[in-house]
This record gives sequence, C-alpha cells and structure tokens, in this order.
Amino acid sequence: MIADQVRAIWCRELQRDDIADDDDFFALGGQSVIMARIQVAFIDELGAEVPVDQMFLNPTVASISAYIESQGAVTP
Amino acid sequence: MILQGKRVALPPAPVVHKQFESHAHTTPDAVAVVCAGQQVTYAELDARANRFAHFLVARGCGRGAKVGVCLDYSVDMLVAILGTLKAGAAYVPLDPAYPPARLKLLLGQIPDLALIVASPATAAMVESAAAEAVDLQQLSDHLAALPAAAPDTAVTGDDVCYAVFTSGSTGTPKLTAVRHEGWFNLMNWLTLEYGLHSGSHNLVVSAFGFDLSQRALMTPLFCGATQHLMASRNFDAMMAYRMLTQHEIRVVHCASSTLYLLVDWESARGGDALTRLDYILIGGEPLKVERLTDWARRENNTCTVLHQYGVAECTDVATSFDFAGYRPGEHDIAPVGRPAYNTEIHLLDEQLRGVGPGEYGEVYISGASVGAGYLNGSGPESAKFSTVVVDGETRRMYRTGDRGCVNSAGDLVVAGRMDAQVKVRGMRIDPTDIERALGRLDGVREAAVVVSHHVGDGELVAFIVPAGDDLGEQPDENDVRARLLAALPRNMVPARFVSIPRIPLSPHGKVDRAALVDACRNLYTDSATTA
Repeated sequence: MIADQVRAIWCRELQRDDIADDDDFFALGGQSVIMARIQVAFIDELGAEVPVDQMFLNPTVASISAYIESQGAVTP
Repeated sequence: MILQGKRVALPPAPVVHKQFESHAHTTPDAVAVVCAGQQVTYAELDARANRFAHFLVARGCGRGAKVGVCLDYSVDMLVAILGTLKAGAAYVPLDPAYPPARLKLLLGQIPDLALIVASPATAAMVESAAAEAVDLQQLSDHLAALPAAAPDTAVTGDDVCYAVFTSGSTGTPKLTAVRHEGWFNLMNWLTLEYGLHSGSHNLVVSAFGFDLSQRALMTPLFCGATQHLMASRNFDAMMAYRMLTQHEIRVVHCASSTLYLLVDWESARGGDALTRLDYILIGGEPLKVERLTDWARRENNTCTVLHQYGVAECTDVATSFDFAGYRPGEHDIAPVGRPAYNTEIHLLDEQLRGVGPGEYGEVYISGASVGAGYLNGSGPESAKFSTVVVDGETRRMYRTGDRGCVNSAGDLVVAGRMDAQVKVRGMRIDPTDIERALGRLDGVREAAVVVSHHVGDGELVAFIVPAGDDLGEQPDENDVRARLLAALPRNMVPARFVSIPRIPLSPHGKVDRAALVDACRNLYTDSATTA
C-alpha cells in the first residue's frame, strides 16, 4: 500500500509516530524544508516525482497517496 | 567609516522598461521568456506589454497609481509588470501562495490601488480589494485592438517602479517603494560589473513577494537574456534542478537558505548543474558558510557565488562579495563586500559619528538606490530616511538597523541586526554570534538561538540541527555546552539545547525566530527535555 509507505516517510521526517491518514501536514508541524525532504524520500523510496505544489494541494497522507497512485507507474 | 561605490553616470532618464525596449528593438527575435512550454520573443513581449499599458493609460492609471499583480509565475506576469511600468505606474507583487487573510491585510495597505491583475487561479484571493481585478486572458480580444507601440508616457528616474511589503517591527507590513533610478542603477551595476550579457539566461526560484524576486525577474530582460520561469507556486528543488539541467541557464538569484537546498539536492543526487552556472547571487540573511564550503570546493566548480547585502528600502542590494575570496580568520562571517555603483555605506555610532576601521557601527546606505520610503502611512519608521552630504552633494540616506564593520581588506562585514540584539540578565547579546559559534562545532549542522521568556528574566535557547541525518545521533548536550564555553563568554552560552530536524523558515526563506520562540513554550512543560 502506497499510503503505508507515505505514512512511514511522514512519521520519519516529521519525527512523530501518531500520524493519521487525514491529519494535516502543516498542523503536524510540517513546513517547507521538511517538505523538501519528503520530496526526496518519495523519489528514492517510492519512485514517485511529486511536485511541491501537489504536496501543498494534498496535505494529508490519504490525499497525497491518492495523487501518487493517480500518477500510475513512475520510474525510480 | 565610509565605503564609496564607483560613480557611474546613468542616462538622463534611468527608466527600467526603456532598457528592455532597447533590446526589443535591437534583438526582436531573441527569446525573452520561457515558461511551461511557452516561449515568447522580445518583440512579442514588448507588444503585449505596450497593449496592456495603453489599457491602463486609457483608464487613467499612470504615474502615482499602483497596480497589484497577483499571478503565478507566467508570461502574463511579465506582461503585467512591463505594461504597468510603461504606463508610468508602479506594481505591487502579491504572492498567491500567501494565506488569503494575509493578502486581504496587504491589499488594504496599498494607497492609490487602481487595478489588480489576477488569473482564474488567483481571482478569489483578491476579492476583498476595493480595486477591480482583471484577467489578461479574458481581456485578450480587447487588448488585441490596442496599439502595439509603446504609449507616450513621461516617466522619470524618480518615479516609483515597484513597491514590496516588508515585515514591520510594529506588526503592520510596510509597503516599501523603489524608484526607477535605483532599480536601473542596481541592474546596470550587475550588468557592467559582472559582465552579464544577452547569454546570461536566468531562472527565478524565489517567491514573487520577495524583494530579490523583482531583481531576479527583471535583470535578464535588462541585459537582453532569456528569463526562465517555473510553473510552481512554491519553491520546488526537484523542478528547479531539472530546469537547470535541461535549459541553458547561467544565473540564479536566491536567498542563501534556498541555495543550501539546491546544494543539498546536487550533493545527494549527483549532477553539476549548479557548479556550471556563471553566477549565483545570494543574500537576505546571515550566510552559513559551512553549508556551502564542500560544494564550493568541488572540482570543476566554475560558479561564482556573490554574497550580497542590502535592504528592500534601498532597492534590495547595496554591496557584493565574491565568495571565492572568503578566508576564515579575522571574521568568521563571510563579508558582503563593496558597494554597488553610486552607493555609499556609512558605519555610524549612536551620535552619528563615523566609526574607525574594524570598529562596529550601524549601517547606513546613501546614494542612487535609496527608495521612496513607505507608502502606507508615515509612522516612526519614516524617520529612518534622512539626508547626508557626500563629496559636497546632498544624498538621501537610510538607517538599516544592521550592525557592521569594515575588515582589513576593506570589505563590509554585517554581523546581525542592531535590534536582534537581546538582553539576558542585563547583558546585550546578539544571537547570531552564538549561532555562528555553534555552527563551527563538530556534530552541529546549523543552529538558531532565541531568547525564551517563559522563565524568569528570559534565557537563551539553542535549537541545533545535528550534522548526521539521524536525530538519534544528537550531539551530547553537555559536550556542546563545554565546547561552547571554550569559545564564548559564559553569559552567551545558552541555557538549553534542543535538537530539531531542521530550522523552521519563514515564507521568504529566513529563519523563523517567532516559531522557535513559540516552540520554547514546550520546553517547560516536558521535563524530559530540560537540561
């Protein structure tokens, strides 16, 4: 499941272990530099190239996972 | 102490859009802007801007009027900016990434706001404004019927070309106005001093509301080069780096902390797009030298990093230093170098007397770059503008609030804000001094120091980003404290050290001190983190 992998990346980069699928990234203390790290993790671990604008538009584990899935197979 | 920039004559009417027009006439088919697959020549951009200028003039929008530009990076953004200048009016960049409540506050602070240029993606954000919003795409039929030649407007170097919002110490953002002469002088200096030319293609990576973005947007058009815009509302290292790789880009202007992110990207993922650039112009905040040293030493790195200093009130850049000349030693701070053309840096004490070489004083800026002041109300901030006589000539002068000195090489060194200095138990302290000392310690990647007033008279709290990627490898607090005590007076050693994954940044990429002060609150409720 992409959502499980996304949640694991968020937990690691946000230094939290209690993130729900509909928690808001910014409410969790997220900011742009953390986002940059998550962008790198998405490429390295999921093979997904996710623009920062999309992360702003999809600020939850559920919505960004759906976006990544909608992009289909991506090259690592 | 005074540093005098080279005196270079400007044209009788140093008007920024005239320089752009000269390229449109001499190299009409050169590419002016590339954005999201669109490519527009100088002739076409000029014609589109002229038509929009006629539209503004017909509505009585000329000298003294303000045009809000609330657009994402796009060809239309440059049409709106150039058209506004050609009409004789001034534009105000409104970053669509701002929260709507912030935009509403800003819109209410713009006097003589005649019009807002928006798009379907931004129109809802400017609904609260008293002025009408127009969409250039919707207007295209109307604009097409207007003349493609420039309207005849009498614009002088003293007219305001743009105004940007800067955070005010009072809590209300200040609308800081820049004059054509200052902006022309800035770009003329960059062009002549650093040999920028029609091949000095540029990529904009900073947020639109930032003062440096105005210079980043216009400089390539000033020297006849191509401007590359990212179709991204937020800084995106992946997209930026890809554009650097795919396009022939030679110059990037950005905040220092944005460069760290690009350098981190290049270091982690490989590539040489940054090291192959001609110039990266950085500034806006104290430079963390350690974030750049490994990259700067890379083999085949032919990129010149210009470490610059300035304030929005004086057209963004006042001085510049070639980072290759940096040698740790006398000052551990990277200097910001020498003044721009037609610009003077004064270092004065509290009695407005010049300080001696090597002595610290407050930085004052005079010359062509001094802006037209604040447009939203007089307020106590206006007292920062005054006049001074230099070589028998009366010059306008701005008091920056920054603390600096001139080193033995004759370069300006800026060592923090006068008002960032804090008092802890009666002692005046500048947190940036402590941050630099922490940054030099092994195991510390970067640090930010604030005063927490959650206990007693307040105490210094250091937020440390460990050098390793794993927060589990936090530097031992007692060890850090011991090493810091060896480097700093005792009263400057923070009471508490908190490891965090990264330093929070404001939307403009500067250290968000308010967020750190806020974070201190948690220290005193969670006993596990106390020292």
